[in-house]
Amino acid sequence: MAEEILAPLAGKVVSVNIAVGDAVEEDDEALVIEAMKMETPIYIPCNGTVKEVRVKQGAEVEEDDVLAVIE
Amino acid sequence: MRPYFEKMADFGRELKKGALKRTEENLAQLKAVEAEVAQAVENVKNAGFPTEKINARGQMTVWQRLDYLVEPGTWCPLHTLFNPLDNEEGTTNVVDGLGKISGKWAVIVGFDNKVMAGAWLAGQSENILRITDLAKRLNLPLVWLVNCSGAKLPEQEKFYANRRGAGTPFFRHAELEQMGIPVLAGIYGTNPAGGGYQGVSPTILFAHKNCNIAVGGAGIVSGMAPKGGFDTEMAETLIEKAKHFKAKPPGSVKIHYDQTGFFRYVYEEEQGVLDGLKEFMADMPAYHPKFFRVAEPKAPRFPVEDLYRLLPLDPKKVYDFEEVLARLVDGSEHLEFRPDYGPEVYTGLCKIDGFLLGCIGNRQGYLGKGYPEYADYPGIGGKLYRQGLIKMNEFVTLCGRDRIPIVWLQDTSGIDVGDVAEKAELLGLGQSLIYSIQQTDVPMMLIVLRKGSAAAHYVMGGPTANRHNAFSLGTAASEIYVMHGETAAVATYARRLVKEKEAGRPLASVIEKMNQLAQDYYDKSRPLFCAKTGMLDEIVPISDLRGYLVAFAGAVYQNPRSICPQHHMLLPRIIKG
Repeated sequence: MAEEILAPLAGKVVSVNIAVGDAVEEDDEALVIEAMKMETPIYIPCNGTVKEVRVKQGAEVEEDDVLAVIE
Repeated sequence: MRPYFEKMADFGRELKKGALKRTEENLAQLKAVEAEVAQAVENVKNAGFPTEKINARGQMTVWQRLDYLVEPGTWCPLHTLFNPLDNEEGTTNVVDGLGKISGKWAVIVGFDNKVMAGAWLAGQSENILRITDLAKRLNLPLVWLVNCSGAKLPEQEKFYANRRGAGTPFFRHAELEQMGIPVLAGIYGTNPAGGGYQGVSPTILFAHKNCNIAVGGAGIVSGMAPKGGFDTEMAETLIEKAKHFKAKPPGSVKIHYDQTGFFRYVYEEEQGVLDGLKEFMADMPAYHPKFFRVAEPKAPRFPVEDLYRLLPLDPKKVYDFEEVLARLVDGSEHLEFRPDYGPEVYTGLCKIDGFLLGCIGNRQGYLGKGYPEYADYPGIGGKLYRQGLIKMNEFVTLCGRDRIPIVWLQDTSGIDVGDVAEKAELLGLGQSLIYSIQQTDVPMMLIVLRKGSAAAHYVMGGPTANRHNAFSLGTAASEIYVMHGETAAVATYARRLVKEKEAGRPLASVIEKMNQLAQDYYDKSRPLFCAKTGMLDEIVPISDLRGYLVAFAGAVYQNPRSICPQHHMLLPRIIKG
C-alpha cells in the first residue's frame, strides 16, 4: 500500500533527506520546506520504502503537491 | 474543585527513535552554549580575591554565606552576569536570587566581599532595583548580606547620583517596609557612608561582632577638609591620621549595639549572624502550601532532558510547543483554554509543585489552511495574529479575576504586519493585551525559550511592558532584538542601495555595511549579551527551568496579597464549558 507525502503549505524545498529505495521509519525527517522565513520539516508517515521522490532541493512547491510516495 | 485539578488532561508524548536520532546535534549545540554561560558564571564567582585569602582573614565569602543560609536545592540565582556598564571587575558586585531560608521563600542579596570589600560599582543600583522590585512583586521578605566598603571612588560619577543611582535602595527599603515587607540584614565588615545606609536602612539588623556602620568611614574622617591640592607635608599628616582611624573605624558594635541599639543582635561568629537570620525567617508569616495547592505535586511524565532535543537552537526550525510544556509541568497535565481558537498561541492552566498557574506560549510552524482568517497568506507560529491576541487578552483577564499567576513562554518573531493586519486591528489588540496584563495585578514570570522580538516581546509578558513581570529567564537558545539583523539591514540600507545603483556606483561598500549590521545584531542578541545588559535576569540551563518554576509558584503563593477561593474560580469552568 502506498502513502503519499503532501506539501502542507506552499514554499521552497530546502532539503531532501530521502532517496528512492531507502528503507524509512515513521517520524524520520523526509524533507524540509521553507516558507515565511521558517523551515517546516515533513516527516515520514509510516515505516516502509521510498517508492518515489517527486521534488528536488530548491524546488518551489504548492500546497498539497505530492512530494514523495512511501510503500 | 478537586475534580478539575487533581487529574487534568494528559498531554505530550514520548520521543520516538527518529526524533532521538535527528536531535543529537541540537542537544550538543545547546549544551555547548550552556558550557559557555557556565564559564562566564564561574568567572563572576572567582572575581576579586581568592576564597582562601578571605577565609585566612577569618571571614566567609558571600558565596559561603549563601551556601550556609539557603536551603540546599532551592537557590535560584538571578542577575549573575548582569554588568551593564562593563565594569572591569566583571560584576555589579551584588549576588542575588530566590531561595528558601528555614522553609520560607525569600529574595536574597549580598555584597561580594571578595571584590573591593563589597564596594558600590556601576550598574549595582540597577541590579538592586530589580531585587527590591522582585520582593515587592512577590510580596517576599528581602534578606541582605551587607558587607559594603562604600563607593568605588574613582568611578563615582557612574553611579552616585541620579534617579536610579546608588542611594535609591535606601528609600526602596522604606517603601518595602511601608508595604509590610520586612528587610532583614546580616551585617559584616566595614560599612561606611553608602555602606552605612545600606546597613541601617533594613528592618532588623543582625551584626557580626567586628562589623561597623557609619555615616563616614576612616578614610573620609582623615581627609575631611579640602585645601586646594596635596603636598608631601599633607600626605605625612594624612598617614598619621589614617593609621589612627584605621585602627578605630567609627560605628562599631560598641556604638551601635551598646549605645544606639541600632543592631538588634550581635554575634561572635560569622555563622551566628546567619543562624539569626534563619531563626527570624522560621517565624516569618507565610501560608502553608496546602492552603493554595490544588493537587499533590507531581513530576512531569517525561524527562526534562528531552527539552535539549525538543527546543531547536536554529531559529528557523519549528517544534511542538506542547511537547516542551509537557516536560515542565506537573504530571504533564493541563486544562487548555480555547484550543480551537487562535492556533498560534497556547493558553492553559497547569500545575507546578501542586500550585495552579496560567501558561501562555507561542506555537511554532504552519498553522493550517485558512488561518489567519483575514489574510490570503499562510500563518506561521511565532507570529501573532488577531485570534491569538484576542485569546491572550481573554486568558490573562480571567487569570486576573481568578488570581492565578502567569508564566509566559516566548518564542516570537513579532505581530503580523501590513495594511491587512492593521485592518484586523492588531496594533490595537497588542496594546489591549498590555492593558489587560496591567489590570490583572498578578505576578508573572517570563521564559524567552528562543526568540523575543519586536512588539510581541513586549506584549507577551515582557519586562518592558508591565509591572507584573517578576523576572525573565533565558535559555541557551534565547535571542532578543527589535527585529532580525538582516531585516534591520534591509530597513536601514534598501534606499541607499537604490541610490547607489541609480548613480552607477559599486554596491560593495553598502553590502559590507549591511553584513556588518546583521552581524552586530547577532552579536548583541546572544544569551550572554542579554544577561549582561539585563534584557534577561538569568540564563538558565534548560534542565533547571522547572526549578525556577517551582520557586516562582512557591513564592507567589507564600503570601499573596489577594485570594480567589478555588471554588469561586471561573476560568476552569469556562474551559470545561
